[in-house]
Amino acid sequence: MNSSVPERFQISPYMAAYVVVAMQIGIGALGFQRIIAKDAGYDAWISVIGAGLVTHIFVWMMYKICEAAEGDVIHANVYVFGKLIGNIINTGFIFYFIITCTAVVGELIEIIRTWMFLDFSPFWFAIIYLLLGIYIVFGGFRTVAGISFFGKIIPFYLVFSFGYALKYGDFSNVLPIFDHSFSQIAKSGYDMSLSFLGFEILLFFYPFIKNPEQSKKWVHIGLLATTFVYTGLTVISFAYFPPRLLERSIWPTLEMWKIVRLPFVERFEYLGIANWALLILPNVAITLWAASRGVKQVYHISQKKAVILIALICLMISMQIPTRERIQIFLNLDSQVGFALTFLYTPILFFSILIKKKVKAK
Amino acid sequence: MVRQMANIFKRYKRGSNKEQYTDHNKTGQNKSEESNKKEEHVEEWEKELSRSKEYKKTFYINQKSGRKFHFAFMASLVDEKVLDNNVLPPLLEGEFHKIADVKKLLPIADVELSSSTADIPKKLLRGYVMLTIEGDTSEFAFISAHKQIVRSVTAPEIEFSVVGPKEAFVEAIGHNLNLIRQRLPIKELIAEELIVGKLSKTKVAVLYIAGITNEEIINTVKQRIKDIEKEEIADSSYFTQMITDNGNSPFPQLLDTERPDRVTSSLTEGKVVILVDGSPQALIGPTSLTEFFNSFEDYFLNWILASFIRLIRLFAVTFSILITPLYVAVVTYHYQLIPKDLLITLVTSRRVVPFPPILEVLFLEVTIELLREAGARLPTKVGQTIGIVGGIVIGTASVEAGLTSNVLLIFIALSALASFTTPVYQMSNTIRILRFPFLFMAELWGLLGITIAFCFLLIHLLRLTSLGFPFMEPIFPFRKQDFKDALFRFPFKDQAYRPQFLRANDAERFSKKKAQKKKDIDE
Repeated sequence: MNSSVPERFQISPYMAAYVVVAMQIGIGALGFQRIIAKDAGYDAWISVIGAGLVTHIFVWMMYKICEAAEGDVIHANVYVFGKLIGNIINTGFIFYFIITCTAVVGELIEIIRTWMFLDFSPFWFAIIYLLLGIYIVFGGFRTVAGISFFGKIIPFYLVFSFGYALKYGDFSNVLPIFDHSFSQIAKSGYDMSLSFLGFEILLFFYPFIKNPEQSKKWVHIGLLATTFVYTGLTVISFAYFPPRLLERSIWPTLEMWKIVRLPFVERFEYLGIANWALLILPNVAITLWAASRGVKQVYHISQKKAVILIALICLMISMQIPTRERIQIFLNLDSQVGFALTFLYTPILFFSILIKKKVKAK
Repeated sequence: MVRQMANIFKRYKRGSNKEQYTDHNKTGQNKSEESNKKEEHVEEWEKELSRSKEYKKTFYINQKSGRKFHFAFMASLVDEKVLDNNVLPPLLEGEFHKIADVKKLLPIADVELSSSTADIPKKLLRGYVMLTIEGDTSEFAFISAHKQIVRSVTAPEIEFSVVGPKEAFVEAIGHNLNLIRQRLPIKELIAEELIVGKLSKTKVAVLYIAGITNEEIINTVKQRIKDIEKEEIADSSYFTQMITDNGNSPFPQLLDTERPDRVTSSLTEGKVVILVDGSPQALIGPTSLTEFFNSFEDYFLNWILASFIRLIRLFAVTFSILITPLYVAVVTYHYQLIPKDLLITLVTSRRVVPFPPILEVLFLEVTIELLREAGARLPTKVGQTIGIVGGIVIGTASVEAGLTSNVLLIFIALSALASFTTPVYQMSNTIRILRFPFLFMAELWGLLGITIAFCFLLIHLLRLTSLGFPFMEPIFPFRKQDFKDALFRFPFKDQAYRPQFLRANDAERFSKKKAQKKKDIDE
């Protein structure tokens, strides 16, 4: 298994940050506020910062793993646990990316159906959206990185739209600080860590970074930016919504757009959701890419065939989750698998690979 | 005429193959047989050429030596004035005994001596006169007396500029090279000649500056030109379609220009230029998307003005593509999106229109396309009338008849106007086509559909390359340095380095330090 990648397919070090951030900020950013406020109430912004800082440790571990294995995680798993067990774990990763892709598409359709078009064909939309994803993956990882870049740069203007919510916000909502116990804040931190998921993609595209050593700085800056965005969103939402109202809002971010009023745009959330389709596209593209690359390396199928196959699977699953309840169950499943693979499995792999290296050196 | 030539050529080719074949077998045979073969061959092509009436064969007798000599040439290709004034007198009156004397006698530089019969037709068909002496077929001379019909250099029409040079390329490659060389009198400017086209034998020149341009680009271009399989090349636009990276894209991936000054400045940037004989358009590559929205006049203006105009153009393109799809999306689905007062204006104007918005828009868009196409096909003077008649009469009448709303008419007219601000003709055509997929997606899913169409466009552009270099540069891959001459045009003193993405061998144009001497107040 040779995981070295020719230079012309590689991306600049700073682009790594865009890929990581693109994966982190996605569909979750529309409705995480209610969930994290369940336990820690309006102290949850501390949990956001805490969880954000924890991600740095895991990214540090991931870099160590990839450096030790001189390749991606697929390589590392086989290196540490042997071919059979390693490939079983790799298949787990592939499944994780498939369900993430499906969850993203499903949730996007759900939002569109709730907010924009009541009578909307999820089937055709899913097909077209996945086709866009396939088209990106066919362009190679550089195109994936490119869409990650544009998918974050173009909708950046949405940040300013939250200024309207700021105008009507009441920051005394957040006071008093620290009136929740540490365990409550930690519990919210766990919930928040699910929104931060996505940086595990680093384990997969590590060989595609031109100068991995230089990229470390950028990826950590990217993580900080994500933490900053989530903290900002949390604080603004807490200021904007009274606690009782937030409890009943599934998508607080979307609801905050309702207050935006421009001379030529009345219902800003339409623009916002339409733009969110662009913002989400990198998530679909990256997950499709990672899953298909995994399949290529583990099962030796050409990546072109693999990506079409995976997109078909995603399409079929997403047709099975048409209701709010089912989507919620599916999203929970996805985040639990993600949590297990990222926050539990990564340290295990980290220590195993260190031990393995030491044993081999002796 | 072309077909006739083609026939001649086809037959000739068969003949030449046979000749090679016999050449191969002749080793060891005596010399008289060889010269017999040669004569047979001469007769063969002579027979073919003489089927065209322009093939002329005349003979004269030298006054001093009394030797009889022949001229063979294609009358249509040869300038008979040259023949009568420069070639004949010395040959009739000078010391002319054998073929080798021609070089001494004639005042023409391009005289070739040859003994191979293989390239006789090739030379005759390029406007050479073949000179033979009676009784000696072993050697002959080709004298260049090519008559080239070239129109004179005129002002650029497609890329017109108010200020700056008013020269445009013509159809003859020699003249075009002249226009370029006058602007770059350096020995490093290389013009490599290639011949393309089985039948048309088109001369193609690949120009670059040695020591600046990256060899990789030069080799890619030359290789792709050599790989072309086509019998006839009518224009350089054939090349745009044949040597580009993705032939199935509506976007041109090589920049075409009729301005010698633009070509020169591209060469100095480290790009490769392709000139094709018979085409008044040069091709420049590698290029990037932003370059198609730069007019060369931007460099003649102050950098603040130029940057402003570039931004206006960019806005115009976005507006032109998006305004009618947005209209369809808003009127069909998202009427809540626009404020009440604006909605009232829209609804009043649409009150009597019986069609759904998409039909209304398509009706007007197609009308505009028709006007444009009719205007392009008709002679200039009639074309102008059509424009006025079409624009004013059809527009007003359709609003009065209640077929379209007048708000839409304004949008359509503005977007048509905006699409003409794109300085490169091929790109402005692309921009006009792009709105149609956007329209259909807007009809399907409103704003969401527009986003999807936009995503598709974005991915397509991301995947495009020009001669292997990313097309979206400098936006992606993001190169801060190359922004100095992309969306904006920064002052010349900031252009000390060549564009980064070209990976030029010599990246520095001039010393930035010398150009920017710091001065204090009152010094």
